[in-house]
Amino acid sequence: METNAPLVEEPLDINALKLGATALASALAACSVAPVRPQRAYIEAKTDDDAARFLLQAQFSASDAEITRVRSVGYARWLTEQFAVPFSETGWDWLNRRGYDAIHNDTRYYDNSYPGDYMIWHQVMTSPDAVRKRCALALSEFFVVSLTGLDFGWRSHGLAHYWDQLSANAFGNFRTLLEDVSLNPAMGFYLNTKGNQKENPATGRVPDENYAREVMQLFTIGLYQLNPDGTEKRDASGQRLESYTQSDVTNLARVFTGYDFDQSRNVVTVEPVQQRKVGSTAFTRMRMALAPARHSSLDAAFLGTRIPANTSGDKALKLALDTLFAHPNVGPFFGKQMIQRLVTSNPSPAYVARVAAAFNDDGNGVRGNLQAVWEAILLDDEARSRNGLADPKFGRLREPMLRFIQWGRTFGIQSTEGSWKLGDLTNPATQLGQSPLRSPSVFNFFRPGYVPPATMMATSGSLAPEFQIVTESSVSGYLNYMQNVIRNGIFVNTPNLPNNVRNAKGVLDIAASYKDELAIVTNASALVKRLNLLLCAGQLSAATQALMINGLNATPLSATSSEAVKLNRVASAIFMVMAAPEYLVQK
Amino acid sequence: MYLLKPDLHSRRAFLRRTGQLAMTGTALPMALNLAALGEAAAFDASDYKALVCVFLYGGSDYANTVVTFDDDSYNRYSTVRGGGADQTAGGIALAKADLAATLLKPTMALGGGRQYALHPAMTGMAQLFNSGKAAVQFNVGPLVAPLTRAQYNGADRKTYPLPPKLFSHNDQQSIWQSSSPEGSTAGWGGHLGDLAMSGNANSLFTCISVTGNAVFLSGDSALQYQVSSGGAVKIRAVADPGVYGSREVRGVVDMLIRQSRGHMLENEYTRVTTRAIAAETHISAAVAPTAAAPGGRPLNTAFPAENPLADQLKMVARLIAGRSSLGAKRQVFFVSLGGFDLHDNLITQQSALLGKVSEAMTAFYESTVELGVSDKVTAFTASDFGRTLTSNGDGSDHGWGSHSFMVGGAVKGRAFYGSAPPVSIGNTGAPEDQWHVGQGRLLPSSSVDQYAATLAKWFGVGDAELARILPNLSRFGVNASRPDYPVDLGFMV
Repeated sequence: METNAPLVEEPLDINALKLGATALASALAACSVAPVRPQRAYIEAKTDDDAARFLLQAQFSASDAEITRVRSVGYARWLTEQFAVPFSETGWDWLNRRGYDAIHNDTRYYDNSYPGDYMIWHQVMTSPDAVRKRCALALSEFFVVSLTGLDFGWRSHGLAHYWDQLSANAFGNFRTLLEDVSLNPAMGFYLNTKGNQKENPATGRVPDENYAREVMQLFTIGLYQLNPDGTEKRDASGQRLESYTQSDVTNLARVFTGYDFDQSRNVVTVEPVQQRKVGSTAFTRMRMALAPARHSSLDAAFLGTRIPANTSGDKALKLALDTLFAHPNVGPFFGKQMIQRLVTSNPSPAYVARVAAAFNDDGNGVRGNLQAVWEAILLDDEARSRNGLADPKFGRLREPMLRFIQWGRTFGIQSTEGSWKLGDLTNPATQLGQSPLRSPSVFNFFRPGYVPPATMMATSGSLAPEFQIVTESSVSGYLNYMQNVIRNGIFVNTPNLPNNVRNAKGVLDIAASYKDELAIVTNASALVKRLNLLLCAGQLSAATQALMINGLNATPLSATSSEAVKLNRVASAIFMVMAAPEYLVQK
Repeated sequence: MYLLKPDLHSRRAFLRRTGQLAMTGTALPMALNLAALGEAAAFDASDYKALVCVFLYGGSDYANTVVTFDDDSYNRYSTVRGGGADQTAGGIALAKADLAATLLKPTMALGGGRQYALHPAMTGMAQLFNSGKAAVQFNVGPLVAPLTRAQYNGADRKTYPLPPKLFSHNDQQSIWQSSSPEGSTAGWGGHLGDLAMSGNANSLFTCISVTGNAVFLSGDSALQYQVSSGGAVKIRAVADPGVYGSREVRGVVDMLIRQSRGHMLENEYTRVTTRAIAAETHISAAVAPTAAAPGGRPLNTAFPAENPLADQLKMVARLIAGRSSLGAKRQVFFVSLGGFDLHDNLITQQSALLGKVSEAMTAFYESTVELGVSDKVTAFTASDFGRTLTSNGDGSDHGWGSHSFMVGGAVKGRAFYGSAPPVSIGNTGAPEDQWHVGQGRLLPSSSVDQYAATLAKWFGVGDAELARILPNLSRFGVNASRPDYPVDLGFMV
């Protein structure tokens, strides 16, 4: 057991002694709090199923080559290799490569959201740095900005840069990420830091509290004081202890005054048709600018910190974010939600504690190292042990968007024209009921504490966040959408053009290749076996596989059968798997 | 016919209601039949009644929705919200002249010369009010017990408890709907369903959401059933003769998506799917737009386009039109509109949102007249919370109490209920500063429990049951020596 493991002493780095008192102090601090490194029982993937299971938690999909690599080098080294994969093309650059920075009345990309949808789908479907993008998508469900709530010129570029910052920081440090998020222009618009001004007694104006509240409630510390294992602290009478008050919100709100889009590098173009003056996209990639005259000069007392009156805006922000980052809630609060996104809805308190410990100290005295957090989540015995496969409460319902991405990446999805016109798929009755970066509010598609009423989860006090978007409509809409898409691909209007022209002749531009599946299509057993490995990490029971094989074999097929018949069999196999509850719950 | 078999939850509910919950370990009678519980006694089985909760997600800005109008109050409002000179618009204050057309004319004038108008975009709602079909409940919000501002500011939480997690969106939504914060599993709409479902031929159609999941509609035994605003979604793989031309593959899919599973999450997912399939044919028949379906009726009332709330309420109206086909005597519906969290752009966006609310609820009322059930259907609004009276420049921040609308022929309309809150952001001991907790965040003078009790009583719930489904109700009313917080707020016939 980890708790009985001996303390691993960190050797004192002699070079640190040459770096002066500060470095020495932090090196010593690192020694004195050297964390217990978990002694992990599961180092290697002993089977292909083990490897696929790991891959499906760490990224969107599993391939034969990746399974081979994981089995060859073990879990930890494979993950380290992924941390080193170069950050691929940014969403912002892709928008420009596709011409979405053009200024013309015919397209008005600056007024439209759909380029943002195409951008994010292209990113999650094709990016080679899949672990980074998977982690970034998990972060996007914690630090939520939604395209649905953005209503400013160049909103798609703004969202792309927000996504790019999540991706860029996914293997970095939480503190940097928190600052980037706080000053990002899309977040500034979404939670109203943009345009926020100091109090004005003459007009009665007071600072906007939105970001101050949500940065505490959602992005750092949460509502209640937590133990290191994520459970809530209680006072002597059993009451939970709130982690902040309305006064903390009102005071912290002063810190976030004085910000607005940074237009200093904007170049204005006169749009030729309507003569509308349109600024360039430059501001969407720049931190919001601080106008000192609009920044509150009052003191701000919150969470036991006091920022004195007349502190400069930059310094006040640093003090505020340092205070939030140092709060003991952050590790368990953030860590538990990331476990829920990647592994299981109901992690044990000990698992949360191990992840929180890695957040608090990566082993080198660094707090907030996200690589350490992902390692702690994905390499933990609770994630890796096969005990979870036999536990009727372990795992998580796969999010509809993740099922769709997994389908695309597993079966070689391509946009023939490269335009990737995959739009907002949030309609639950006709589509997925979920689309990346399209949360209905800053509270994400679902809450981490959601308990579906009138279920065994409610009876047993278990969480099931993803069930918040499970309804009679959404389970039906998902099946109908996938039944069509798996067989036919996605219908796209004018895929050769970047803009969203309607009523033109469309084609099925985006589709899967099924190359490897068509190669074994004559053998129904082999086909189901392959899907069971790649989609389910071997988690389909023998009985379910037999049902599927019988279903496929009911339609005769040989090497000389038509392409349509072969495609029907591949699509049937995939649809049966993606409809099966054993697939829908990732364990 | 029951689409839903009584299960663990209904047994638990039965035990709770019959006071046997303490008898854990006792063998449960397996032949339990909900219909035999005699709960229908609370309801007159011969008539039909429906409650429709219209939830405004994000926290609705009370001060610009039901706007204070008499000069004295308006001028205070205008000062706080940055209004222009001579009662013109400015900051986040509406111009007084723009409010004249939506002035509310109650049968009995308010004391102190107070007058109110609705937001200028709410012409339909103002007409409903002035024609006696709608009323306004002032300053209602979650309370554990009656509370003063001094008690709120004090430290004695044991004697003067507060609702948990005030000012937090997700939690206050949950508390409004269920008296408990995020993670709650039963709401008061669902508890009404618990009592009503045995009187309905299909218990599943007792509590219906036409928007997403809402804890409001889940009870101990009553389930939330969800339909889209286009109706129930047919699963093609089950309804069609084949999947990609194969009957056998169709059969496998049909079996897989409905099977019982040992894994908890898998099993609950297939339960939802099973329910969806079982319910779809009933719903589709009941809401068929022609009279061809048994019990179905055409609906001619025009609902506004480009209005998601109207789309949902139109589906509610179609479901009500098909009530006899669905075998429903008592129903609770839930619909919603989002976007009310207006920290910014309050003036421009509130106009569009409140216009949608007004037009959708007006059309819905008209549809109930067409269906002959206008006095059997009551719609009411609720929201996460009210907002500050103060301005942050072009919006307002999270608050607490807010004003609600009640619409329907059974509402004692053209009237205000509760106390008109003073227009104040002051922090002194003066009487006018006692009904907010800072920046004009209203301290509720009526609780959600009282509000719910008033609606529930009309729905047919007896006093004893009220106390069970509304956990804080016992701290209000004459029996709690608080006649100033009556259990029945009086707005229903």
